[in-house]
Amino acid sequence: MKVLVLGGRGYIGSNLVAMLRGAGIEATSASPRTKPAPGQLRIDTRDRSALQAALHDVDAVVNCVAGDGAAIAEGARVLADTARATTRCRRLVHLSSMSVYGAVEGCVHERVPPGPLLGWYDKAKRAAEQHVAAFAHGGGQAVVLRPGCVWGAESELWVGRMGRWLRAGRLGDLGIAGDGWSNLVHVDDVCVAALRALELPLGRGEVRTFNLAGPDSPRWNEYFIDLALAIEATPVRRLSPRRLQLDARLAGPALYLLRKGLQRLGRGGRRVPEPITPGLVGLWQRHLRLDPRAATRELRMDWTPYPAALQEAAAWFVEQESLARVSARAAATAG
Amino acid sequence: MIESANAVPRGTVLAADVCVVGAGAAGIPLALSLSGRGLSVLLLEAGERTRDGKAQAHYEGEVADERLHSPLHRYRLRGLGGSTSLWGGRCMPFDPIDFEARPWVPDSGWPISYEGLLPYYARANTWAEAGRFAYDARTALPGVPPLFAEFDSDIVRTEGLERFSCPTDFGVRYRKRLEVAPDVRVLAGAHCTAIRLEPDGDSVRALDVATLAGNRFQVAARAVVLATGGLETARLLLHSDDVSPRGVGNAHDVVGRYYQCHIAGNVGTLTVFGTTANVRHGYEMAADGVYCRRRITIAAEQQRRHGLLNAVARLHFPKITDPAHRSGVLSGLLLAKGLISYEYGKRLRDTRPLTAQEWLRHVLNVVRDPGDTAAFLAHWLRHRTLAQRKFPSVILRNRSNRFSLEVQGEQQPMAGSRVQLTPSVDALGMRRLRVDWRYGRGDIESIARTLDLVAAELARTGVGRFEYDPATLEQDLMRYGAYGGHHIGTARMGTDPRTSVVDADCKLHGVDNLYVAGSAVFPTSSQANPTLTIVALSLRLADRLARRLQPRRAAAEEVFA
Repeated sequence: MKVLVLGGRGYIGSNLVAMLRGAGIEATSASPRTKPAPGQLRIDTRDRSALQAALHDVDAVVNCVAGDGAAIAEGARVLADTARATTRCRRLVHLSSMSVYGAVEGCVHERVPPGPLLGWYDKAKRAAEQHVAAFAHGGGQAVVLRPGCVWGAESELWVGRMGRWLRAGRLGDLGIAGDGWSNLVHVDDVCVAALRALELPLGRGEVRTFNLAGPDSPRWNEYFIDLALAIEATPVRRLSPRRLQLDARLAGPALYLLRKGLQRLGRGGRRVPEPITPGLVGLWQRHLRLDPRAATRELRMDWTPYPAALQEAAAWFVEQESLARVSARAAATAG
Repeated sequence: MIESANAVPRGTVLAADVCVVGAGAAGIPLALSLSGRGLSVLLLEAGERTRDGKAQAHYEGEVADERLHSPLHRYRLRGLGGSTSLWGGRCMPFDPIDFEARPWVPDSGWPISYEGLLPYYARANTWAEAGRFAYDARTALPGVPPLFAEFDSDIVRTEGLERFSCPTDFGVRYRKRLEVAPDVRVLAGAHCTAIRLEPDGDSVRALDVATLAGNRFQVAARAVVLATGGLETARLLLHSDDVSPRGVGNAHDVVGRYYQCHIAGNVGTLTVFGTTANVRHGYEMAADGVYCRRRITIAAEQQRRHGLLNAVARLHFPKITDPAHRSGVLSGLLLAKGLISYEYGKRLRDTRPLTAQEWLRHVLNVVRDPGDTAAFLAHWLRHRTLAQRKFPSVILRNRSNRFSLEVQGEQQPMAGSRVQLTPSVDALGMRRLRVDWRYGRGDIESIARTLDLVAAELARTGVGRFEYDPATLEQDLMRYGAYGGHHIGTARMGTDPRTSVVDADCKLHGVDNLYVAGSAVFPTSSQANPTLTIVALSLRLADRLARRLQPRRAAAEEVFA
């Protein structure tokens, strides 16, 4: 089987390409900012002709494209259209997100109707799912994966910045404001799910959708406390919802602008603390629990246990920190 | 979901798999732990909101001796969260020895073991937001100096910890979970006024429910759990006497008996030798961000050897009402006692009012000590008033190495210490309670021998000197009566129906589907504050109920607890 992985340089995509190759599948990684090389293509998903050429000799596509709303929604539309026009590529595995459920709370399985939209991201993700479904209705086969928060070693999003916020005392035990479910899912589990989705027996025109979340993934507070203890960002702080709102709504926009400004001037905006966004604050208090039982059953998932993933994530974080210290010292000595 | 009991159609019979009466420290974790297990749960809460004055009035009752026990509407609250809207947050598990049948403590012994409860204790800690289940300073506080430098004793232990909840108001903290859970229905303003048994008395047919606005309906459930606290549980059982004339589960006249609180008070003078750096008398913060404090206890084998009841002592400041302590902070607290709630101000009030001269001396203490008072107020404002995780209590800077010991002791269970019904009724027709709390000479003597052991070990190790007056010990311990808010033993757990009300599953002897959650089931009172054990037993009960009512359901399907 030959598989094209769109967004192959991203966190999920790069792990997936490695796993597919390890499993004996010929995987080509595609990304808009990559140097073309064997097994590596430079493709912007919205570029119809480039995509057409690439789809010509693959059996399936895994779509891991991230980015802004247009890249997600429009990219999926172009992909679905182009794939429909080819004869060889009959299967799409699409990485969606739990955010398609919008403002729904409670335990949600795949047939729960989505709630009101929360922002541009869910809107784009929902639109993308519709394009994928349209591809299947046109005679293809599609599997939509809806992961929660994808983590593991090297996860900047759910380990790196969380650890830095914990270290800075801007994150901790949030009480009610952190009582939402984390729906953390290990990146390896997402890759295994994508691999099995490629091989899942499907009929013509069939679409299957699966939630992906560790069945033992905890509520956010528990994750924050566990991570803080593991990286020794202690004592863990108990933060008030008020303080969190101030950080997100007042400090957040200022930090965002400062970072952008410094980046534009080439002055290393990385040193400015990362803003906590109101979207994250909303996520941490949302009682949405992804029900992963369909994936457990049909994709035969053997989920990475939360304690094992935590240990791995924390070890990576601590190692990153010590590497950063070493390079900072080296820079100082050189200067 | 949370609804008003007034919206239930009058005269209907609501059906549920489990009906939990009371949404407090026991009822909320119990109901939420049953969620996601294929059962429908109905949770009845009498209060319509927290601090619901009208519902609260239904707690009023009589006390045999007002010097010995607080009025019954104090130290407990109606409303979502129950008395967790009021509690101080002190958490610690019972000790293994508390579960043993101790020959020197008549009527002691639990039908369950410490080890059996341990997994639930760990989870209870999370529910109470008291951090990790780590109650030994040697592992929980690595690198922190001991209570007393150079103190090494196998008899008197000082590494045991108590941990502090925020204190978490379960009604506020878990409200959203109750709203989101599709299989839990909370009815606010629902007063359970009677348990209706089947004519043969072997099982519960229905619960009568009333609201203060005049609505009436019933609940029929496969299992009923009373989670209404140590006093109200006895009241409900005794009041429901239409089928069993002595009250539900009371064939052997045990309901309401063996009522226990804790023996508590500040005693004596402890002088630690050497520098003030030799003592860590205040709170430590564990890595998980939770305030912890060390306690002085007697090792289990020494309790056995000396025939002692379990007890704990903490380092405390000197007697607050005596201006000789010269602390501006203490005098300020005493003068401001009118601003402090009844439950927390009680121990600031002496049995007699201050004389004008004493009052003046307290004012002078404040005036002379402005820096310390200001520093204390600033710390209190920052770490208590404004903090989410509150600094648990007043700790003074140690300047003199002189302390008193704050003692909290177990009391011998006694059938004669009891709660009963009176002929007078509340607005919903329920007979009111009369509390006749008693303690024995042995309770005081056990504390005396405990203090003697502490004094002897401090002297032997050269760490310090502890002196107290045995002649006034009883008076010191009874100055404010029974420790408020710990209502224990009125529906005690055991294997013999002649001396207990519920079995090891917390199910009433002889009633097939009626259970009790909460401190009413504790056979003995331990040294520990009851809340953590209440939560642990409730989580255990949830597992037992789920297994009994839904045996086919796999545990892996739990998603909400």
